[in-house]
Amino acid sequence: MRHFFAALCASILAAPAFAATPVDGALGFQPAATRIAERIHFFHDDYVMWIITAITIFVSLLLVWVMVRYNRKANPVSRKFSHNSLIEVIWTVVPALILVAIAGLSFPNLYYQDVVPNLEKIQTESAALLADGKSAEYERYTKNYFPDAAAKGFVNVKAQGNQWNWTYSYPDIVDADGFALEFVSNGIHKGTAADPADSDVRPRNLAVDYPMVIPAGRYVRYYTAAADVIHSWTVPAFGVKTDAVPGRLNEGWFLVDEPGVYYGQCSELCGVDHAYMPIEVRVVPQDQFDAWAQLMLAGDYDAAAASVRTMAALEPSTQLAANH
Amino acid sequence: MPMDEIALDHHDDAHDHKPGFFRRWFLSTNHKDIGTLYLIFSLFAGIVGYTLSGLIRWELAEPGIGPMLWIVEHFQGVQGDAAITHAKHFYNTVITYHGLIMIFFMVMPALIGGFGNWMVPLMIGAPDMAFPRMNNISFWLTVAGFVLACISMTVPGNSAGNGFGGGWVLYPPLSSTTGHPGPAMDLLILSLHTAGIASILGAINFIVTILNMRAPGMTMHKMPLFAWGVLVTAVLLLLSLPVLAGALTMLLTDRNFGSQFFNPAGGGDPVMFQHLFWFFGHPEVYIMILPAFGIVSHIVSTFSKKPIFGYLGMAYAMVSIGVIGFVVWAHHMYTVGMNVDLKAYFIAATMVIAVPTGIKIFSWIATMWGGSIDFKVPMLWAIGFIFLFTVGGVTGVVLANAGIDHALHDTYYVVAHFHYVLSLGAVFGLFAGWYYWFEKMFGIKYNGMIGGLHFWLMFVGSNVLFFPQHFLGLQGMPRRYIDYADGFHTWHLVSSFGYAITLAATLVFFIGLAEAMIRRRKGVANPWGEGATTLEWTLPSPPPFHQYNELPHVTNKGGH
Amino acid sequence: MSSGDVKHDYHLVNPSPWPLLGSLAVLVLAVGGVTYMKGLFGLEKGTMWLMALGFAMVAYVMIGWWREVAKEGALGDHTPVVSIGLRYGMILFIASEVMFFVAWFWGFFEFTIFESARTGSTWDATNPLYADALSRFKEWPPVGVETFDPFHLPLINTLVLLLSGTTVTWAHHALQHNDRSGAKLGLLLTILLGMGFTALQVIEYSHAGFTYDGTLYGSAFFMATGFHGAHVVIGTIFLAICLMRLMMGGMTPKHHLGFEFAAWYWHFVDVVWLFLFAFVYVAPYLIMEGGK
Ligand code: HEA
Ligand code: HEA
Ligand code: CUA
Ligand SMILES: [Cu+2]
Repeated sequence: MRHFFAALCASILAAPAFAATPVDGALGFQPAATRIAERIHFFHDDYVMWIITAITIFVSLLLVWVMVRYNRKANPVSRKFSHNSLIEVIWTVVPALILVAIAGLSFPNLYYQDVVPNLEKIQTESAALLADGKSAEYERYTKNYFPDAAAKGFVNVKAQGNQWNWTYSYPDIVDADGFALEFVSNGIHKGTAADPADSDVRPRNLAVDYPMVIPAGRYVRYYTAAADVIHSWTVPAFGVKTDAVPGRLNEGWFLVDEPGVYYGQCSELCGVDHAYMPIEVRVVPQDQFDAWAQLMLAGDYDAAAASVRTMAALEPSTQLAANH
Repeated sequence: MPMDEIALDHHDDAHDHKPGFFRRWFLSTNHKDIGTLYLIFSLFAGIVGYTLSGLIRWELAEPGIGPMLWIVEHFQGVQGDAAITHAKHFYNTVITYHGLIMIFFMVMPALIGGFGNWMVPLMIGAPDMAFPRMNNISFWLTVAGFVLACISMTVPGNSAGNGFGGGWVLYPPLSSTTGHPGPAMDLLILSLHTAGIASILGAINFIVTILNMRAPGMTMHKMPLFAWGVLVTAVLLLLSLPVLAGALTMLLTDRNFGSQFFNPAGGGDPVMFQHLFWFFGHPEVYIMILPAFGIVSHIVSTFSKKPIFGYLGMAYAMVSIGVIGFVVWAHHMYTVGMNVDLKAYFIAATMVIAVPTGIKIFSWIATMWGGSIDFKVPMLWAIGFIFLFTVGGVTGVVLANAGIDHALHDTYYVVAHFHYVLSLGAVFGLFAGWYYWFEKMFGIKYNGMIGGLHFWLMFVGSNVLFFPQHFLGLQGMPRRYIDYADGFHTWHLVSSFGYAITLAATLVFFIGLAEAMIRRRKGVANPWGEGATTLEWTLPSPPPFHQYNELPHVTNKGGH
Repeated sequence: MSSGDVKHDYHLVNPSPWPLLGSLAVLVLAVGGVTYMKGLFGLEKGTMWLMALGFAMVAYVMIGWWREVAKEGALGDHTPVVSIGLRYGMILFIASEVMFFVAWFWGFFEFTIFESARTGSTWDATNPLYADALSRFKEWPPVGVETFDPFHLPLINTLVLLLSGTTVTWAHHALQHNDRSGAKLGLLLTILLGMGFTALQVIEYSHAGFTYDGTLYGSAFFMATGFHGAHVVIGTIFLAICLMRLMMGGMTPKHHLGFEFAAWYWHFVDVVWLFLFAFVYVAPYLIMEGGK
C-alpha cells in the first residue's frame, strides 16, 4: 500500500525540487525526507499498520461469524458453556506476543530518533567496518549513519516559538561583531483579508516570509525553546516533533539529503494564531546555504529569501536509500 | 426551615408513596430519581456538547475562517480584523468546552451518575445507595460545575474574547495569566474543582454501596459485571481526581496569588502540570470506558441467552486495566522533551493494557459463540461498540509507540483515536445501556424500528465522521486548527458530511424518545426473556419507589 | 428499626434540602471567589461580600447537615451495617485526601530531585528572562533561600503533634470504657495541642525568609505545609465539635462514630506531618548542610 501512496505523491510532486506539502485526498504519510521518517514509515506502514489491520479484520470476522452462525434463526437453542481455560490462555498469550513483536521494532526506532548521534563514533565505526573489509555491514551501517556528513559536524539551529511566529538562530554563524544569525519567521497567511492569493507558489497556511534554511546532507541538531507559551516544532516529512517549552531547551536531530522545501505547522495549541505560525524549511546545497547565510548576515533578508526560492539540484542521493 | 419538618416526618417514607414534585426532584434521596436526574442532565449537556461539535465540523468543512467569523460578527458584534482574531479565539473555546462538556458533563454523568445510580443498587440487591443524601449533592454539584463552566464561556478569557481557549488539557502557560488573564479560566478551574468534588463523593458512595450493601449471598465473585465496572471506575476516580484538584489549585494560585509552580520565569515548570494532569487524565479515559464495558457485557449475555464467558477473567481484566492505567500517563507527553528511557518504559506499560482489553473483546465474542442471538436494539449498539472500540483501541496501540507518536502526536490521528474509543466507544455503550434499560427505568416501551434506525444512522455517520481523520492525521493535519492547508480539504469535508448523518441520527433519537413518551406503551418487568438474569429484571418496570424492602437472597449461580 | 414493612437495616434517608443548598453555596462561593480575585459581573476585583456569603452558606449547610446526621445517629439509624458503611466512607475520604497531598509532594520532589533535569542542561541560558532564575535555582533549596532549621520549631511541632496523637487515643479509650471525664480531658488536651501546633506554625511562618508569591521554594513550601495546616485547623474544629457533643451528653461507649472519624482524621494529619517534616524540612536541610 505504501508504494501506492509513494507513487501517488511522487507523481503529484513532479516539481524540480522536492516539496513536502499535504496532498488532498492522500491516505498516508507525507513522503519521507529523512532516515528518521523513513524508519517511522516503515514501522507504521509496513509493520504495525498490518498488525492492527489484521487484528481488526480478525475481530470483525469473528463478529460476523457469530452473527451469522449463532443468531436466533440459525441456532434456536443457546448452549450454556462459560469457560474454556485453553482458549483464555491463548487470547492472553498471543496478544502479549504480538505486543512484544511490536516493541521489538519500536525501541530501536525510538532510540534512533531520540538520541542525537555521536558523530565521532560514526566516523570511527564506519572506518573500522571499511578497514575490516566488511562491505555488507558497511552498507547496512550507512543506511542509518552517514560518515560523510558526520565528518562535517553538526549544523546547529535553534527554533524559538513565540506567539505567533518562530525565531530561528544559528549559533555557529556569526557576523563580524560576533552576533549569531537570528531572524523571525512569520507565516504569510493570517486568515485575514490581507492574505495574498498566490497559494500555488506560496501554499496557504504553510508558507513563511523568511524560511529556515539548512544545507543538504548535513547533520542538523536543532533546539527548541519558547518565549511565552508552549509551541511545538514539527515537520511531518522529517518525522520530527519537539515541543518548545518555556524554561526548557529541548533538542533533536535530523539529516535531509534532498534539496527541497518542507512544510510543518505549530503542533501545540498556543492561542489565537496557533493555526497561523507555520514552519518552512528550505534544504539547499551547501554553497547555496553559505550564500544565503552571508546575505542574511548582511541584513538583506529579502535577497536571502529569494536566493533559496529555487533550489539547485543535487547529485542523486548517495546517502539516503532513495525511497521516494 | 425544612429541618423541623424532616424531623417530624422521620421515617414515614418507607411506604411506597412518593414525595411531592419539589421534594422528589430537588431534595431527592432516592437513587433511581437521582439517576434519572443525572440522565436528564447529561442529555442536556450532551446536546450542548454536540452543538459545539457541530460548530467545529461546520467551520472545518471548508478551509479558511467561515462560520466562526459569522458568529462573532453577528452575536458578539465585533467587526474587521478584530473579528478575525475573535473568531480564532472563539474556535479554540469551542473545542475546549466541547471536550470538557462531553467528558465531564455528558459521558461521566450518564454512565456513572445515571446508569450507575440506577442499576448498581438494583443489581446488587440493595434498597438504595449507601449515602442517599450525599448522592444528591454529587448530582447538584455536577450541575453547579456545569453552570460555572457555562458562565466561564461568557466572561473574558483574554484580549481576543470570552471563554478559555486553551484545550481541555488546560496546559499552562496558556492557561496561566500569560495566555488567559481573564476570569474565564478561574471559573473553569473552579468548575472542574466542583465537578471533581462531586465525582469524589460519588465514588465514595459507589465503593461503599458495593462493598457493604450487596444482598445476602451475593459475593464479590457473583456480582454483576456492571457493578464491577463501576467499582473499578470509582476507585480510579477516588485516587486520580484529587491529583487533578491539586494541579488546578496550584494553577489557580499561580494565576492569582503569585506562586511559581508552573511559571518558568520563577523556576517553576509547565511540564509538571502536564504530569499531574495526565496522572489524572489517563485514568480518566478508563473511567469513561469501564462502565460501558460493564453494560456491554450484560447486553451481550442477555441477547445471546448465554452466561458471560469467563466472568472472573472479565472482572479482573477491568481491575488490571484500572491498575495499569495509573502508570502509563506520560504517553500523552512523548514530545515534551522526556528522557528516552522513560519513553521506552511508557511504551511498554501502555501496550500492556491491550492484553486485558483483548481478553474483554474476545470474551464478549465467546459469550455470543454458541448463543442464540437476538438482534434487538441494545444488542446492535453493543456489537457496534465491540467493533468500534477495537478500531479505536488498536490505533491507541499505534500511538503508544513513541517513535510513531512523534509523527502523530497532536494530529487528527489522535482525534480519530479518541473519538473511536469515546464518541464511538463510550457513547455507543451509553446508548446501548439507554435502550437496554429504558423500559426498566421509565416503564414504557420504545419503538424498536426507530431505535434500529438511530443505530444504523449513527454507525454509518460516526464512521464517515471519524475514519477519514486518520488520513488527515497521517498527512500531518494538526489538532486545534481553525483553518488548514488546502491539501487537507477533502477529508475534512467528508468528515463534516459524516456529522450531518449523525445529526439525522440524533433527530431520530429524539423522535424515538418523543414517540415512546406519547404512546406510553406499558413496560413489562422483563422484556428480554431468559437471557436477562440480573436482579433488576425481577422487579416491575419501573421499580417501586423503594425496592427490596425485604432483601433478595442470591443463591443460584446467577447474578451475572 | 424502621417503620412499615421494611425488613432491612439500611438507612433510607428522607428527602433533604442540604444537598441542593450545599451546591448553591458552592456555586456562590466559586463565583464569589472569582469576583474577589478578578472582578465579575460589574463587581470590582477585591469585592469580598459575595465570597463571604458563599462561605457563610457553606458553613450553614455543613452545620445543618451534620446536625441532622448526629440526630439520626442518636435516633438509632446508624445500625451496625450502616456504621460499617460510614467507616468505609471515612476511610475512602481520607484516601482521597492522601492523593491530594500526593500532588504537593509531587511538586516538591520534582523541584528537589529532578531539579537538574529541569534546570541545568535543559535551561535556555541565553534567554535573559530565565538566566536569572537559572542562577537562583541551580540548587535546592535555591541559593539565597534561608530555610528553616528543622530541629528548632518544626521539631517541637512534630513532638506536639505526636503527643496529640496519643492524647486523642487516650480519649478514645476512655470513651470506650465509659470514662467520660477522661475522654473529655484527653480530647481537650488534643484540641489544645492542635491549637498549639497552629500557633507555632503561625510563628514559624512569620519568620520565613521567603514568601508564597514570587519564589518557587516559597510556593512549594507554603502550599504543602499550608494545606497541612488547614487540615490541622479542620481537624481541631472536628475534635472540638466532638468535645461539645460529649459535654452535651452525646456519644456512648458503643456509638461514637463522629469521635472515631475525628480521631482517624487527626492521625492522618499526624502522619502527613511526619512526611512533611522528613522531606520538606529535614532532607533538604541535611543535603544543604552536607554541601556546605
Ligand atoms: C475511552 C477513552 C479511551 C480509551 C479506552 C483509550 C485507550 C487507549 N489509548 Fe487513548 N486517548 C484517549 C481516550 C482513550 N484512550 C483520549 C481522550 C486521548 C487524547 C487526549 C488529548 O490529548 O486530548 C487519547 C490519547 C492517547 C495517546 C496519546 C496520543 C498523543 O497525544 O500523541 C496514546 C498513546 O499511547 C493512547 C493510547 C491508548 C491505548 C494504548 C489504549 C488502550 O487501552 C487500547 C486497548 C484496546 C485494544 C488494543 C483493542 C482490543 C484488543 C484486542 C482486540 C487484542 C489484541 C490487540 C493487540 C495485540 C494490539 N491514547
Ligand atoms: C466523550 C467525549 C466526546 C464526544 C462524545 C465527542 C463527540 C464529537 N466530537 Fe469531539 N472531542 C472530545 C471529546 C468528545 N467528542 C475531546 C476531549 C476533544 C479534544 C478537545 C481539545 O482539543 O482540547 C474533542 C475534539 C474534537 C475535534 C477536534 C477539534 C480540533 O482539534 O480542532 C473534533 C473535530 O471534528 C470533534 C468532533 C466531534 C463530533 C463531530 C462529535 C459528535 O458529534 C459525534 C456524535 C456523537 C453524538 C451524536 C452523541 C451525542 C450524545 C448525546 C446527545 C447524549 C445522549 C445522552 C443520553 C442518552 C443520556 N471533537
Ligand atoms: Cu505555536 Cu501553536
Ligand atoms: Cu492515555
